[in-house]
Amino acid sequence: MLKDITLGQYFPGSSIIHRMDPRIKLILLFCFITALLMANHALTYAGVLLFLALAVAVSRIKPKALFKGMRPMLFIVIFTAVLNIFYTPGEPLVSFWVFNIAAEGIERAVFMALRLTMLISATFMLTYTTSPIFLSDALARLMSPLAKLKIPVHEFAMMMTIALRFIPTIIEETDKIMSAQKARGADFETGNLFRRAKALIPLLVPLFVGAFRRADDLAVAMECRCYHGGEGRTRMKQLHMTAEDAAVLTGGLLLLSGLTVLGRLGWFIP
Amino acid sequence: MNEIIRFDDVTYSYAEGSAPALDGVTLAIRQGETVAVLGHNGSGKSTLAKMLNGLLTPASGTVAVCGMDTKDESRLLDIRQKVGLVFQNPDNQIVATVVEEDVAFALENLGVPPPEIRERVDAALRDVGMLEYREHAPHRLSGGQKQRVAIAGALAMDPLVLAMDEPTAMLDPKGRGEVMETVRRLNRERGVTVVMVTHHMNEAALCGRVVVMDRGKVKLDGPPGDVFSRAGELQSLGLSVPQTVALAQGLGLDAAPLTEEECAELIFKEFSRC
Repeated sequence: MLKDITLGQYFPGSSIIHRMDPRIKLILLFCFITALLMANHALTYAGVLLFLALAVAVSRIKPKALFKGMRPMLFIVIFTAVLNIFYTPGEPLVSFWVFNIAAEGIERAVFMALRLTMLISATFMLTYTTSPIFLSDALARLMSPLAKLKIPVHEFAMMMTIALRFIPTIIEETDKIMSAQKARGADFETGNLFRRAKALIPLLVPLFVGAFRRADDLAVAMECRCYHGGEGRTRMKQLHMTAEDAAVLTGGLLLLSGLTVLGRLGWFIP
Repeated sequence: MNEIIRFDDVTYSYAEGSAPALDGVTLAIRQGETVAVLGHNGSGKSTLAKMLNGLLTPASGTVAVCGMDTKDESRLLDIRQKVGLVFQNPDNQIVATVVEEDVAFALENLGVPPPEIRERVDAALRDVGMLEYREHAPHRLSGGQKQRVAIAGALAMDPLVLAMDEPTAMLDPKGRGEVMETVRRLNRERGVTVVMVTHHMNEAALCGRVVVMDRGKVKLDGPPGDVFSRAGELQSLGLSVPQTVALAQGLGLDAAPLTEEECAELIFKEFSRC
């Protein structure tokens, strides 16, 4: 049961989006979100939607997988839409008790839901097509200028790598401890919420103790392999921008900045 | 033979006033040796391992690696590069999410240029027979394979000494065999000096030299044939002898055969005479 948990689920593939330098994907995602938030007309929304649809098509990620990922977020999307329906002032179409529903409200709710859905889908597109290692690596490299402001970028990246490395190990250990406690009569599945939470204590205590012991061992092992912080460190795998990457970046940036400007100025919109 | 590591009257204790973990240890490790360190729990053998690369430094006395005092912090990176140390639990010493990235870890720390890292990582993985697994996730490997990756991680630094603290304690017999085979091949083909803390007598029998520790002191030190022929002394230190030696001695033979072949031959010779 615990084996099903995946963090930042990744679907390996060989599309142009999978192969793209993860830094470019991050930059494009950032620009996409900007364009999306600036959009304020059906036409600009359509443009942004087209861009996203194109990315999904090229990546060969199944739209079904995107919808599946959306499911936990559905509540937030619906909640936001409903709030917008009721709280947008305007000429009421329907009104009952203290509620007024205006045409503006419905319009706004639709756009809001669309905006959130696209925002979440675009983020999923990044994590679906990029392995977590490359993602943390790309983040660290994009943020490396922050190291000059004494922000410990290298340390954060190292922590992320180690966390990713130990998630499967700790999950395995959790399974083992659970089986061991069940063998001694522990019951994790029945009772009310309070009882079940209490039943977790004999699971969490050994897990915590074990995790700290692991951390201690790992620190010593890292020291043995000459780890002394990020200073003077090199990396075996260098991220390389290819001509293909540059072309996609330029095209994507042009499109998105065009959409952003259109959305902001509302040109050609009557 | 060249001396690589030298312990000079080394004393160390973990807490003030407690019994010393090491008590006046003097020991020299020469290039190309395979040394097994034996002893029951609390004999100081793990402490000895941690002294080899300056993880611990002596309270009195000195430990020198290639003439460098381990107390000299400015030489610590050089010392750690000369002495690779591998621990018991393979899960807790693998840092990265991909095998080859983990092997590259030490070289990245040392600031080696990327193309050279690539070469040395591949060479180290080939040396431990794990090259084909270089893109695997460590948690999908068996215990023996993980431990070989950990050995490759130390080996990538191109160390003179490969030190290991009970590297096979958490492995099944198959994994144990894999690791021992790898270590012996590295010694034979690459000339890597091996220091191995163990409590498996059969593994110790495969080494060229056996050091027996008890209560922080070196009690016996010599070739396995000599050490294991002193079964009485070993038993008083809470240690057994390899099964082959026990068999020979049970039969009343005055010899310490170290391999099964040797043992079979000895018994055959002895009893075909009568």
